[in-house]
Parts: sequence; C-alpha cells; structure tokens
Amino acid sequence: MLRSDHILATVEMIQKENLDVRAVTMGINLLDCRGGGVAETCRRVEEKIGTAAARFVETCEQVSRKYGIPVVNKRISVTPIAFVGAGFDRHGFVELALSLDRAATAAHVDILGGFSAQVEKGMTATDREYIASIPEALARTEKICASINIASSHKGINMDALALIGQTVKDLAEITRDQDGFGAAKFVVFCNQPGDNPFMAGAIHGLEEADLVLNVGVSGPGVVARALERLIQTRGRENLRLDDIAEEIKQTTFRVTRCGELIGRKVSEELGIEFGVVDLSLAPTPTVGDSVGEILEILGVDVVGAPGSTAILAMLNDAVKKGGIFASKAVGGLSGAFIPVMEDAVLAAAAGSGALCLEKLEAMTCVCSVGLDMIPIPGSVDAATIAAIIADEMAIGMINNKTTAVRLIPVPGKEAGEIVDFGGLFGASPIMPVRNVGKSSRFIAWGGRMPAPIHSFKN
Amino acid sequence: MSKQMVMSVMSKDRPGIVADITGVIYQLKGDLADLNQSVLCDYFSMILIASFDDAVTPEDVVAGFSHLPSATKLEVVVKEMEAPLESAPEGRSQEVYVLTVQGQNKSGLVHRIGLFCCQHGINILDLATTLSRGLYTMILQLDLSHVESVDAIRTDLARCAEESGLHLVLQHEDLFKATTEITLL
Repeated sequence: MLRSDHILATVEMIQKENLDVRAVTMGINLLDCRGGGVAETCRRVEEKIGTAAARFVETCEQVSRKYGIPVVNKRISVTPIAFVGAGFDRHGFVELALSLDRAATAAHVDILGGFSAQVEKGMTATDREYIASIPEALARTEKICASINIASSHKGINMDALALIGQTVKDLAEITRDQDGFGAAKFVVFCNQPGDNPFMAGAIHGLEEADLVLNVGVSGPGVVARALERLIQTRGRENLRLDDIAEEIKQTTFRVTRCGELIGRKVSEELGIEFGVVDLSLAPTPTVGDSVGEILEILGVDVVGAPGSTAILAMLNDAVKKGGIFASKAVGGLSGAFIPVMEDAVLAAAAGSGALCLEKLEAMTCVCSVGLDMIPIPGSVDAATIAAIIADEMAIGMINNKTTAVRLIPVPGKEAGEIVDFGGLFGASPIMPVRNVGKSSRFIAWGGRMPAPIHSFKN
Repeated sequence: MSKQMVMSVMSKDRPGIVADITGVIYQLKGDLADLNQSVLCDYFSMILIASFDDAVTPEDVVAGFSHLPSATKLEVVVKEMEAPLESAPEGRSQEVYVLTVQGQNKSGLVHRIGLFCCQHGINILDLATTLSRGLYTMILQLDLSHVESVDAIRTDLARCAEESGLHLVLQHEDLFKATTEITLL
C-alpha cells in the first residue's frame, strides 16, 4: 500500500529537486575487434559499437519517458584502447580515436570513454605511443574521453608514466588553447581506476567485464540538500544532532539510488544486456541548487574550505554509500561524493574567494570519491609541478586503498583569478592559484616506480 | 456455498462495527472473501464480498443487520454479484500510474480530473484527497492499460495543468514502490 506522504516526497524529489539519472553507460568489449591493421580494426570497432548500441539511446529515452525521470547522459565505455591497439603507433591511435568518435556520433550517445591505458606497473612501447597520441586524439575528436591508470595499491605508482602525463596535460591544454585548454577536461589520471564506472571522463569497460554490460550513474546533490533543509526546518536546528543528519542523508540516498536501479533494470531488460552496477555518486552540476558544496554549507561551515569541511565531507561520503548500497543489487564504480570545482557553483565560488585552496581540496579528497577534479590552474604552471600534484593525489589513493583521480586544466595564457567557462555540464570557475610552483622537478625526474605500500601493520 | 454477494456498510465510527458486520455474516453461515474499509472524518465505510448458501437472499442479510442492537445506525446495501469473484480478471494491470494533483482549493477540482480520466478511457483504481491549509491534494491510482500513448496523456495533462492552474504529475507506480519499499521486484 503506497502512502500519500511517500508519494508526495517522491514527486517533490523528481519535480523540484533535480533528481535525474545522470548517466546510463553501455560498456562494450572491443578486444574481439582487432584486425590485421589500423583500418581493419577501426572498421570492426565501428561495426561492433554500431550493432551493440543500435537501440541504446532510443531505449533509454523510452524508459525515461515511461517513468518520468530524465536520463541526462547516454554514454558508451569501451575496453581500454591501448589493449585494442597493441602494436599501433601514435598515428594508429589517433585513427582509432577518430573511429570511436564516428561510432559515438552514429549511436547518438553524448560521450564515449575508454581511450585509455593501464600502466600502473610498467609501460609497453604501445602504451608510450598511446600516451603520445592523446593530445591530437582529443583535439580532433568531439565525443571521446581519455583516462589512464598510473597507480594502484597493489603495484605502486609508475613514476615514468607520471612524468609523461604531466607533460601530456600541458600539451592537451596547449593544443586546445583557443578553447581555454578544454582538451585537458577530457582526460583524467587515476589510481585504482574501477572498470565499471559510468561517469566521465574516467569510464572504461574493464578487462574483467562481460562482453556487454549496462552501468548506471545516479546523482542528486540537490535532492540531498533539499531533504536536509526540510529536516532542519521541520524539526528545528536545536533538536537535531549530527547522527540525525547522517540518517536523513542515508534515507534520501536510498530513494535516489532506487530510481537509478529501476531505470537500469528496465533499460537492460529491454535491450537484453546484463545490468552491471549502480554508481551512487553525488555528482554536482553547475545548476544552482545541485551542488555538493551547498550540502557542506547546510551542514555547518559558512564557506567550503573552512575547518570542518573535510570532516563533513567524510560523513556525507559514508552516509551516501550506506544508503545506496542497500538500495541496489550491485553497487560499483566510484560511489560517493564528487567535488569537481568547475562543475559545482558553490565550490567554484569558494575557490574564487580564496576560501578553498588546492591543499584543502587535496585533504578533502582523502575522504571522498575521486579526487582533484576539474580544477583550472594557471597555464604557466610547469609540467613537473603538474606531475607532482598528480603524484600526491595518487599516493593518497594508493595508501588508503581507494580510487583517486586528477583532472587539472592548465589554462593557456591565463593566470589565477581569471575566469574560465566551458559551458554546459563542464561549468565555470575562477582559476585557482598553485603555490610552490617549480619546486618539485628533482622529485619527478627520478622516474622508475614508487613501490607498492605494505598491506599490514596499518596504523 | 454458491452465491456471492457484495455489500457496503456506512455508519458513524465507533468501536465494534467490524465485529457487528462480520457477526451478521457468521450467523448466516457466510464466508468472507475480500474486504476493504476506510474511515473519513469520523465516518466508517466498508465494502466486502461474502459467499452464502443458495437459500440466503440479499433481503435476509439486510434483515440480519436491522436486528442488530447497534449504538449507531448501520446503512447497508447488499447485492448479489453478477459474476463470481473467481472469474474476476487475475492480478493488477502492469500499467498502473499515480497521478498527483495539487492546487488551491475550489469546487469542481475532482470533477475536472474525473472528467479528464473519463475522456481518455482511464479507469481510476484508487483516489484519496486531503485538504490542508487551503491546499488541495489528490492522489489517484490510474489504470492506463487501455491508453494507446502515455506520451499523449502527458501532453494533454500538461495542457490541463496550464488551463486549471493545478500542479499535475503522472508517474508510473513502480517508481513509488522502488523509492519506498524494501523489496524491488
């Protein structure tokens, strides 16, 4: 028996609080697409994606209409492309990227992820060619996202790859200079990258996955924020304690996740494709009222970045996981709270006012999903400093057995405080200052590997 | 047992009404099948189905109620069912939607929505309304299995919302089950 108050709460959630299914991502294995050469491989890749995703977008829209829940993005993730293109040179990888772009356009998806490699321990000659192809591949394509896993808790950090990636981020920004370095927003560096993440830019179809699988990313920071405001208003601030707040977040996340689970199951039923996981992340958008930063401020810091921000984020991240895990048959991907600066209006404002600095963001990433995400920095910051920022973030993930990632945009020709605006879901923010620039090059120059940490004696 | 009757009972609410009603059926050796009851503003209403021997007539049942020493008057309507309960369509439609309607209270709101459903061939399975501080809320469970296009219904609803100033939201029942029930089938 459905209760009226429950019905009205769900209606509120969908109509007024920005509830949506952020992404339905179809994972496609491309390992069987390898042909004798680049052209043959590209043809097979396009053919496979074309067949697998023929009814994908249409079906998502159909289910979305039936249930009245918007599915914001329809995406494809593929096997990390360095495996598919083993033996290709950089030009071959650019051709593969163009081929993926054509396939994504033909399938009418918003974006395709998986132009990727996994080099956490060592790099093959192919991996090096793949890395060298990234700037041109992303500059010449529209829908392709790239990611690379350079570290893991079990293998350590590949410092040779790290140094190359510092330069790649610079090159990516430079080659897309006329778009304020937008190319760098489509490339993310990981430690412990999951193989079933539906969110971009880091979505891949991991080698451990089945041939085709459907993963769903739910979001809803707006829903959580409004639920907390309602709770505080109806019960009164003086009558609430922090554990009441955590409980409310848990229950709200349960309901949000269930919507994603429902949509995911129905789409996978319609398509006859295995349903993989729900990724229950609080992923903000630049829309006012759809911000993770706002939740932090509702929970008691006047501005994000003030002392207490890390502790609140830790509780939020944990409560989101607890609520979501029970709501879904299988939870995976990143699952937690994201703090992408450009994509979150409140975080961007805090970065602009100086309340939120890069070091505080780094601390916050120790307790939440992902990492230093969508952060515009001055174009003058050198490659070694960028690599060193990435190294710090990789170390956090490696030691704490969690996924961390970095997506920095060194905006060419612009300095701290100037505004960069990519529009749409990518958002806008003042460029954040980087302190101690140019002081880490001796560290990056070592190369080699940072050994994997010990997995006992944890204190 | 070969005769099924449907009966509705209304009374001012008090403790003991269910015992009284079922007592009458028990004394006539009836067997209770489905039953639904509701209380609104201190008034009790029940609809139920029971089976009786062939010899028992609806008049016998009404007479049973009239002999009850009841503190409140029980108003009873009894009818013999045209088709037995077992022949009723199995299970619920898969196309049950929930329509929520909210707006400033004024006369004719329910009629307007009822007319909308009627004109679109939509059967109303359940309807509950509440009035709170001038805000009128209706929640309807609708069977859309005979509707050709839910999209077209949504378009017409949007027009109805615009004309009437009501806030109308149509969502599939599964969504509400998913967000409020433990089990997701």
